[in-house]
Parts: sequence; structure tokens; C-alpha cells
Amino acid sequence: MFKKNKIYWFEGVTEKGVKDLLNNENSKYRWLRPQRNRRVLVILMALGLVLTSMGSYWPTLKTNLNLSADVGIIVYSVTAIFIIFAVVGCYSLLRIAVRSIADAPDELLDERQIAVRNTSFRYAYFILSYVLMALMVLMFFGPELQMFQPEGNDGSYVVIAALFASATLPSMVMAWRERDI
Amino acid sequence: MLHSIYAISMSRNPEEPVYNRIEAARNALGLSRQELADKVGVHYQTVGYLEREEYSPSLVLALRIAKALNQEVSELFSQTPFKKGK
Repeated sequence: MFKKNKIYWFEGVTEKGVKDLLNNENSKYRWLRPQRNRRVLVILMALGLVLTSMGSYWPTLKTNLNLSADVGIIVYSVTAIFIIFAVVGCYSLLRIAVRSIADAPDELLDERQIAVRNTSFRYAYFILSYVLMALMVLMFFGPELQMFQPEGNDGSYVVIAALFASATLPSMVMAWRERDI
Repeated sequence: MLHSIYAISMSRNPEEPVYNRIEAARNALGLSRQELADKVGVHYQTVGYLEREEYSPSLVLALRIAKALNQEVSELFSQTPFKKGK
């Protein structure tokens, strides 16, 4: 009999997806499990988020670095490709690396995993508040930002980076802290 | 320097240790970690954490483990280290 795969819309996971990742016999992503590899992912993700938020200051940066239009486009394109890889790719890989424990609902986890997940969210909340504080300082002292304007520094990159950070920080904290996942 | 900041800011709260004899009891029954995990409804890694005394189970989980290993909770868990060979 076909068993329905329950979708947890709020958490953004499926029952089968989480159970597959929790399954020890699933060797497909075993290379992601060592803490060192997970930490590399966390660093790449953090770098991607910093570069995403710096996108808001690209017009000012380009002017300050005296980049010609051609060189500017190349630098922007290469950076954009790296950012897409780092942010979107690392976000997906991080969720896999921590077996979706950071996003899974209670009913799919055991008590230790729930405790680990909750602790990760606690630290992620603190870190996010510091990140937002740093962004506030940057917006206060840095070049002027405008929202969704065709000219000048577009602040939407900062907002996108903050949204991605809020979504991925629990997984990042868990990937960094936990010895065995 | 950075490591010290990390150690302070993200340190784990040191728990009062709870010693156990889960591994010995499991081996006596010839069960693998995965088999015990399936019996008590936890992930196999949680059994590893329990056996290494890196995680203290809730009372409900301790009761389930004791039942699965045909032991009393007091025979499996203690706040003082077990004597070797006992």
C-alpha cells in the first residue's frame, strides 16, 4: 500500500526527506558528515552572505576601486556566480549535512535531536541579532542605501542576505558545533 | 583568541554526569546499536551518545532502554561510576 509522504509546509521538509537523511544506510551524502567538511560549508555560506550584502554597495565600490565598465562587469559577474553557488548551493548542502534536523518537526526526531535543534535555534537567534545590529551600524555609517531604486546603492541585497541568514543560521550553528550528525 | 571567544560564547552547559551500563547490557544481549535504537525509538547515534555518557536520557527514555535490555533502571543508570566488571 502506498504510504502518503507527509509535507510539513511550515518547516519546509517532507517526512520521507527527513527520514531518508536520518537513515544510516543512506551513504549518498556521507562526505558531508565530517565536522571539518561541515565547517567549510559554514564558512562558504557566511562568505556568500557577506558578499550578498556587499552587493548593495556595488556602485560605490566600483567607483572607489576605479574599475572600468568592462572590468566592473567581469568582477560583478564572477562574484555573482560565486554568490549563487555559495548561498543557494551551500544552503541546500547545509540542510543535508545536518540531516534536516534543524528544520524537522518534533515528531520526526528523538529527544536528543530535539535538544540539539533547540540549542541551535537559541544560538542562531543570538547570532542573528548581532548580524542585524552589524547591518544597522553598516547602514548608519556606510554609504547611503535606497530600496529598489535603479540608480545608486540598492539596499535590497542587504535584506535578502538577512533573510537567507535567518533561514540558514540554525543549520550553520548545528553544522559548526556538533561533532557527530 | 578566537577559539577562546568561541569556547566561552558557545560552550555546552556541563551536566551532572549520569553513568550507565547500556553498552555492556546491549552486548550481553547481542544487540547492535541500530537494533537497540529501533527498539527504543531513537536514532542510532543517540545510543552512541548515551553509551559514551555524553547525553543523559529523560526518565521515559531511560525506562524504555531498561525495558528493552531486560534490566531495572537502577541497574543501568547511576550518579556514581560503576565498578569495572560489575
